[in-house]
Amino acid sequence: MEPLLAAFALVFEPKTLWVMLGASLFGLFVGAVPGLTATMATALLVPVTFFMPPITAVAAIVTATAMAIFSGDVPGCLLRMPGTPASAAYTDEAYAMARKGQAELALGAGLVFSAIGGLFGTAVLIVSAPALADFALRFSSFEYFWLVLLGLTCAIVITSERPLKGIVALLLGLLVACVGLGNPAGHPRFTFGSTELMGGIGMIPMMIGMFAVSEILRYAADSGKRFDVDEQPIGNVFRGMWALAVKYPKQILRGSALGTLVGALPGAGADIAAWMSYAISKKTSTEPEKFGTGHVEGIVESGAANNSALAGAWIPALVFGIPGDSITAIVIGVLYMKNMNPGPTLFTQNPQNIYAVYLLFILANLIMIPLGFLCIRVAKKILKVPREILMPVILLFCIVGTFAINNTVFDVGVMLVAGVIAWILEENGFPVAPAILGVVLGTMLEENFITSMIKSDGSLAAFFSRPVAATLGALTLAAWFLPPAIRRLKRAAGA
Amino acid sequence: MKLNDAVIGAILVVLGLAVVVHVQGFPRIPGQTVGPGLFPGLIAAGLAVCGALLIASGIRHRAAQPWFVAGAWSRTVRGVASVAAVIVAIAAYVLLGDALGFVVVAPAILVGLFVVFGVRPLHAAGLAVVASLVIWYVFYKLLRVPLPWGVLKNHAF
Amino acid sequence: MKSTLRAVASALALALVCGAASAAYPERPITFVVPWGAGGGTDTTARYFAAAMEKELGQPVNVVNRTGGSGVVGHSAIAQAPADGYTIGMITVEITMMHWQGLTELNPTSYTPLALVNADPAGFTVKADSPYKSVKEVLDHARANPGKLKASGTGQGGIWHLALAGLMNDTKLPQTAIPWVPSNGAAPAMQDLAAGGVDIVTCSLPEARALIDAGKAKPLAVMDTKPSALFPNVPTMKQAAGSDWTVSAWRGIAGPKGLPRDVEQKLVATIKKVWDSKEFKDFATSKGYGMDWAAQADFVAYMAKGDRSMGEVMKALGLAK
Repeated sequence: MEPLLAAFALVFEPKTLWVMLGASLFGLFVGAVPGLTATMATALLVPVTFFMPPITAVAAIVTATAMAIFSGDVPGCLLRMPGTPASAAYTDEAYAMARKGQAELALGAGLVFSAIGGLFGTAVLIVSAPALADFALRFSSFEYFWLVLLGLTCAIVITSERPLKGIVALLLGLLVACVGLGNPAGHPRFTFGSTELMGGIGMIPMMIGMFAVSEILRYAADSGKRFDVDEQPIGNVFRGMWALAVKYPKQILRGSALGTLVGALPGAGADIAAWMSYAISKKTSTEPEKFGTGHVEGIVESGAANNSALAGAWIPALVFGIPGDSITAIVIGVLYMKNMNPGPTLFTQNPQNIYAVYLLFILANLIMIPLGFLCIRVAKKILKVPREILMPVILLFCIVGTFAINNTVFDVGVMLVAGVIAWILEENGFPVAPAILGVVLGTMLEENFITSMIKSDGSLAAFFSRPVAATLGALTLAAWFLPPAIRRLKRAAGA
Repeated sequence: MKLNDAVIGAILVVLGLAVVVHVQGFPRIPGQTVGPGLFPGLIAAGLAVCGALLIASGIRHRAAQPWFVAGAWSRTVRGVASVAAVIVAIAAYVLLGDALGFVVVAPAILVGLFVVFGVRPLHAAGLAVVASLVIWYVFYKLLRVPLPWGVLKNHAF
Repeated sequence: MKSTLRAVASALALALVCGAASAAYPERPITFVVPWGAGGGTDTTARYFAAAMEKELGQPVNVVNRTGGSGVVGHSAIAQAPADGYTIGMITVEITMMHWQGLTELNPTSYTPLALVNADPAGFTVKADSPYKSVKEVLDHARANPGKLKASGTGQGGIWHLALAGLMNDTKLPQTAIPWVPSNGAAPAMQDLAAGGVDIVTCSLPEARALIDAGKAKPLAVMDTKPSALFPNVPTMKQAAGSDWTVSAWRGIAGPKGLPRDVEQKLVATIKKVWDSKEFKDFATSKGYGMDWAAQADFVAYMAKGDRSMGEVMKALGLAK
C-alpha cells in the first residue's frame, strides 16, 4: 500500500501535472501534422527530459505519444491525410465517413476507443507484464517471418475489391523497400551511386506523398468542384459512443487484445497492430460489404488496437530493456539516464516508480478524452477554411514535416514522386494503402527470412520446427488456402 | 488521367523484367545461403506476372476502356495550371530551398499556389507571409528543425 | 494586412543590419550532424554534448540526424559541409570501415578531427543457461563443430561482426566456424539471443546490460585491455582466450576538412571542458559508457590504428573491395 501512496504523490504533483498538460498539447499538434510522428514527438522530448525528475520525464513521453497516436486520426479523417502511419490503415474509411457528414462520429469513435484500448493495454501491463514479456522474448526470426507474412495478407484482405490491383500496389511497396543498403547482405541495391539512395526510401516521405500530396493534386485537378459535407448534427457525441460500445463489444476487446500483444512484440508496433485489426474486423464482420464506404466498425477496432499497442510496447521495455517499438527504444535510453534501469529489479527495488508509471498511463488515457474532444472541435473548424487557402498551407506543412524527418530535401523529392505516382495509380483504381504496408514490412520480411535461413543452415523445415512458429505458420497458410477451399467445397456441395 | 489496364500492365512487365535482369549482377555473400538478389528478384517477377494479367484483362475490356483518356483538368487552362503549380512548388523547394532559404522560398511557393487557386493577389501575399512565418517559428524555433537559411545565412535570427 | 507586411519587412531589415555587426566565432547557430537515428546511443551522446556546448559557446547547437546507408549519409553530410565551423558532427567507428567496402571514398583523413569522447569495447555474451563457461570453451566447440554456433550483434560487415571476425582471425579459427546472423542493431540481437535464435552476441556490454541484469544472458569476456567499469568481474579476452584482439565502437566529434585553426582550438577547448565536467561523468556512468579521450593529433593516430586493423579483418572476411 505504501508504495502506491508514494506513487500517487509522485504523479499528482503540480509540476508533473503541468508537464502532462503541455506534453498533451504538444502530442496533439505533432500527431496532427503529416510527417511528424509519435516517435518524433518522443525524440524531440528527450533533450527536454534531461532537466526533469524521472517520473515527470516518463509522464511527458507517455502523454505526448498517446495524444499523437490519436490525433493522427484527425487529418486522416478530415482531409484523407493520415498524421501518423498508425492511422493509415483506416484513413479511407474515416474520410468516407467525413464525406457523409459523420466526421464527429468517426473521430469520436477514434478517440473514445483509443482511450479504452490504451486503458486495456495498461491493465495488461499492470497484471501480466513479466509473463507477457517472457512470451514475447520467445519470438525469434522464424516467428517474425510468419507474423510479417500474416500482416501482408491483411493488405490483400483490405482491398478485396480488385485483389490484382491491390497485389500490384503491395509489390511496388515491397520493391521500394529493397532500395538501399539496409538489407541483410549490406549490399547497396538500386542506389545508382547515390549516397542518399543508400539510406533507402523512407516510409514517411512515401506516406505523405501517397496520401497528402496526391490529395492536393486531386484537389488541383478538380478545382472548381467543391468539397461538400452534409452538416449532420449528431447530438450528444458521448451517447453515440455508448451505442457503439454496446454494438461492438467484441470488436473493442479483440482490437485491444491484439494491439497489446502486437505492441509487446519487439519490432512490431502500433501501425502493424492497426492494419491487422482492421483486416480482422472486416473479415469477421457481418456486414463486410460496408467496409470502405464509411462504416465505423473497423475504426472502433483498429483505433483501440493502435493505442493499446502503445502500452503493450512498454511491457518488454520495462521488463527486459528490449524495445517493443521505436518509441520505447528511445524511452529505454531515458530510463537509464534517470536511474530507472529497466529489468526485473525495477519492479522489486523501487515499486513506487513502477506504480507511478501505471498511474501515468491511466491518467494520460483519461485526459485524452476531454482534450481530444477539444481538438476535434478545433479541427472541424479547419473544414470551414476555404480549400484554396487550406491546401497550399497543408502542402507547406507536408514539405516541412517531410524535411524534418531526416533534414534533407531529398526526402521532399521522394514525397513529390510518390505523390504523382499515387495520384496516377488511384485514378486507375489501384489502392495506395497496400504500398505503404509493403514499405513498412518489406525489410522485416527479408531480414527475418534470410536470418532464419542462416540459422537453420538453409533448411526450410526450420520454419515449422519451433512451436510458436509452427502455429503462426499454420495460421498464415490457413488464411491463404482455407477460404478458397471452403468456397470450392460449398460449390461442390451445391452442384 | 485514365490508362487502359494493358498500358499499366506493359509498364509493370518492363519494370519487372528490368529489375530481374539487374539483380543478376548482385554478388553472393559469404556465409549467407541466399544473396541480396533473391528478394527483389521474386518481387519483380511477381510484378511482371501481375503486369501480364493486367495486359490480358485490358485487352479483354478494350471496348470499354480506351488506351488513354486525359483527365478533365487537362482541358482547361486553370486545371493544367493548378496541377502544374503543385508539382512546380514542391520541385522548387527541392531545388532552391537550400540555396535561397526557407524564409524566401516558402512565401514564394504559397503566393504562387494561392494565386493559381484563385485567391486575390493582395490577400495571397499577406496570408503567405503570415503562414510562412508561423510555420517557420513553430518548426525552427520550437521544434528546432534546421530549416535552411540560404541567402540569409549571415543574417540568421 | 498591409501593416503586417510593413512590420515584417522592417523586422527583416533590422535582422539584416544586426547580423552583419558581430564578429567572434560562433556568431550564429551551429549544426551538429549525427549519422545515426534519434534516441540511439550516438544520438544521446551527441545531444548531451550539443546541449552542454550550447551553454559554453552561447549559441544554439542544433542536433540534426542524417540517418541511413549504415552511416554513409550522415558521415558524408559532415565531410561535405562548408569548413566554417558552423557544421560539425559526431563521427563513429564506421568511418574506418565503410571505405574498405567501397561504399564511400570517405575515411578518417576526410575530416578535421576534434576529439574522441567515448569508446565501448566489444563484449562476448551468451545465453544465461548456455553450457559454456568461458570464451575458450565456445571457441573450442566452434573449432570442433564448424558452422554450428551462430553469432549476431549488427548487420553484415558491421562493427560487432568485425569484432567476432577479428577474434576468429587472431585465434586461427576459420571464418566459417561461427556464421554471422545479421541483425538490425544490438537490441534485436540480444532479443534473439534470449529467444534462442543465436548463440553468441558480440555487442558492447552497456548494450547487453538489460538482459544480463534480467538474468537472461551472461557476459564471458570483453575485447579490451582492461575490464569494463560496468562489469568488473568479466575477464578481458587475453584472460579468457589468450587473444590480444581488442576492438571498440568509438564516438568522436569532427568537422569538415580544413577548419580554421582558431575555430578548431575553440571547439576542442569547449569539448574538453564538457568532457571534464562532473555532469558528463555522471551521464556516462549512468549509461555505462566508456570514457575515453584523445584530441586532435592523438585522435588522428587512434583512428589510423583502428583503420588498419579494420582493413585487415575485412580482407580476411572477404568484405574489402
